[in-house]
Amino acid sequence: MEVNTSNMILEMKDVSKAFPGVQALSDISISVVEGEIHGLVGKNGAGKSTLMAILMGIQQSDTGSISISGRTFTTMSPQQALDAGIAYVPQRINMLGSLSVAENILAGEMPTNRFGFINWREVYRDAENRLSQLGLKLDVRSRVEGLSVVEQTMLVIAKAMFSNARLIILDEPTAALPRSEIDRLFGFVRNLKNKGVAFIYISHHLEEVFEICDQVTILRNGFLVATQPVASLDTPSLIRLMVGEDVKEFERTLPPHPEVDQPVLTVKDLVRRGHYENVNLTIGKGEVVGLAGLEGSGAAALAMGLFGLDRTGLGSVTINGKSFQASEPEQAFRQGVAYLPQDRYQYGLIGIRPVRENITYPILNRLTRLFGLVRSDKEKQIVQDYIDKLGIITPSMEQLASLLSGGNQQKVVFAKLASISPSVLLLHEPTQGIDVQAKIDIYRIVLELSQQGVAILIISSEVRELLGICDRILVMYQGKITQEFKVGDPLTTPHDILLAIEGGAYVAE
Amino acid sequence: MSRNKVFAFVLDHLIWFVLLLVWFFFIIYIPGYLSINNAINILLHASVLGLLTIGQAIVLLTGNFDLSAEGTVSLLTVLAAYLMLPYREMNFAQAGGIGWQLHPFIVIPIMLIIGIFIGWLNGLMISRLRMNNFIVTLAMQLFLRGIAMVISMGAIMPGTPALFNWLGGGRIATIPISVVFTLLLYVLFSYILKNTSFGRRLYAVGGNKDAARASGFSPKRYVTLAYILSGFMAALASWMLLGRLEASIPNLGQGFTLETVAAAVIGGVALTGGAGSIGGAFAGVLLLSLIDHGLNLMQVDPFFINAVRGAIILIALFIEAQKLRFKPGVTRRKASAAPTGQD
Repeated sequence: MEVNTSNMILEMKDVSKAFPGVQALSDISISVVEGEIHGLVGKNGAGKSTLMAILMGIQQSDTGSISISGRTFTTMSPQQALDAGIAYVPQRINMLGSLSVAENILAGEMPTNRFGFINWREVYRDAENRLSQLGLKLDVRSRVEGLSVVEQTMLVIAKAMFSNARLIILDEPTAALPRSEIDRLFGFVRNLKNKGVAFIYISHHLEEVFEICDQVTILRNGFLVATQPVASLDTPSLIRLMVGEDVKEFERTLPPHPEVDQPVLTVKDLVRRGHYENVNLTIGKGEVVGLAGLEGSGAAALAMGLFGLDRTGLGSVTINGKSFQASEPEQAFRQGVAYLPQDRYQYGLIGIRPVRENITYPILNRLTRLFGLVRSDKEKQIVQDYIDKLGIITPSMEQLASLLSGGNQQKVVFAKLASISPSVLLLHEPTQGIDVQAKIDIYRIVLELSQQGVAILIISSEVRELLGICDRILVMYQGKITQEFKVGDPLTTPHDILLAIEGGAYVAE
Repeated sequence: MSRNKVFAFVLDHLIWFVLLLVWFFFIIYIPGYLSINNAINILLHASVLGLLTIGQAIVLLTGNFDLSAEGTVSLLTVLAAYLMLPYREMNFAQAGGIGWQLHPFIVIPIMLIIGIFIGWLNGLMISRLRMNNFIVTLAMQLFLRGIAMVISMGAIMPGTPALFNWLGGGRIATIPISVVFTLLLYVLFSYILKNTSFGRRLYAVGGNKDAARASGFSPKRYVTLAYILSGFMAALASWMLLGRLEASIPNLGQGFTLETVAAAVIGGVALTGGAGSIGGAFAGVLLLSLIDHGLNLMQVDPFFINAVRGAIILIALFIEAQKLRFKPGVTRRKASAAPTGQD
């Protein structure tokens, strides 16, 4: 390997990138030296992915330059990035699963005998040798799909090493991994670090950043906030840097609800192994409760379980005092539970059907007379009602749902759920991917529904959003509800909530 | 109507315009083509295919195929003749039945029940057991045709009773009963699919299975119901076809599968499910029948007729693919699927 006079591997200088309507990155400079593990943190939308896309040559920056091992680029193709030694290890690994480990390692350069047939003994020996040089022990004969998640990650890293990678980007490599596996991965990463390989480590799990990184760069809204040695920081100060001082509490347009006097949804000791444990929560009539947590915290699994799209665990759930159980959404609807999915394209809408049909699917049975004939006058009246009330912008109710804008599609899903007059409404990222005006409309709809007495649970990764519309916020971390915040309480600050979301309460203890 | 709306209307009803065009072509090129008799012949030709296409279209709307219907026709025509005809030794590839000489009023319900049962079995395997719809129904077709061959021993069984032949061969004045029957079923199913909760849900299941489930109904149930209806229609088609021919012929029904799929697709039923209408499928049936019949009258080589059919199916698929381009919202691909790097 060519030895460079300077041990600087990466230097990005004044990189900016704008997308229509958004300045995604503003003058970001970041440098990484040999043998360094460089953390990259920031909330969703801070610009981490865009920065990495530029580094990998997938996107071009508007301004700025990238130097890799002394070579400077102003524009760079993915191939140039690879050649320069940049490798990316995605969160979800995509490999040729039915091939063996050895085939994956040697892909494209299999040793053959003189008849052109593959020399398998040679293949396995070669693969084993290469892995052991990196200090990695894997069964080279086993199929990749038989490896554990961590082993697959390590294999991808190893493959990058074989193609002379000098800087490896790890994107959330530990999401949903048990501690022992994380230790194994970290051991391997440290081993490579000692050989001079540099890493960029992207993670929401801040305690891991503290554990493994040397330096950490914090991005916020496309700006570089700071690059600091990890040793000079602690979790609260890091979170403060991530969140910034600009977070103020949003004014709620309605007074907060009084204490829970009439519980609608009560969850007691709900356990589903590997997803959530000992979940206890109560939502009162007309109450809006936020549920915040990282991906894999169990919040999403809980909501989908309650709606019957996923398995629920053991424990008791009651709705208005009656025992509740749903293994299919059909049963959840019947007992008054509705769910707004995070992915409206998958679970929310039937894109190639008109808006009118989409809104009335759950209530068709109520709209039919003899032989299942739909009473179209009544149906049109109901649909028009919702279009007016929720402000759905569509040329007509016969418009195909897929042709509406994201915000209007979301309103159609709301109308569909509201049509069954639920007692409990579970909302999963209700404002994801929709514009600001539509967001405000959605908040208004949520508050209106709560005034009608619907008990509402909102799962959101936007803390500001939760502070704006919820009465209470629960935080889930690693499957447990760890903290509860009262909105309006002066002791409830966005920092504390973010800290709790990142598991900070544990770190602080 | 604005220009855009006219364009959309033509696009949505393209098949009817094509139908008119082809019809004019035959009127011009075949002397004496424009007669009541000819029109009735075309409809007669279309009636059996029409019944099968209703079943196929309903299954296609849920996003599945039914390749088994022609096997059902093979089996049920043979079985019905076998149960109704007196016993006769096989002679010059002709034979009689088992000799029970069951009354048509018993045989017809048996046919319908078997048709429904086959459909239910298909539906069960495809929706509950998650077996692939294409292979399940293809294997079912083979299985049913095999049984038909075992029963008939490859022989023709002629002489079905007049009471049975009423549906396929009967006429009121000059109007064939089968034509009226098929037209009525088209009106009925067109109405059911548009205006009942059953129809709505059928479309929903084909449009997006997951969203249908999250809307509170079971996609599995509706897929099964679609297959049951298809089996039922295949039984009716068998009754009609056997009644018209007054004899069971081995391998009857062969080739219907492709024609029903073609008719439905030509008529605008989406192979991916969720879009299309029974009325459109009917237009597809008419177009295929019109061309068959017209080219026959022109004494075109039968092999060439097949080539023309193939070409028409390809053109129809081409048009369907182009439609998606003009109506961007019809695709189910989600815009957010492509990584943009914008987090």
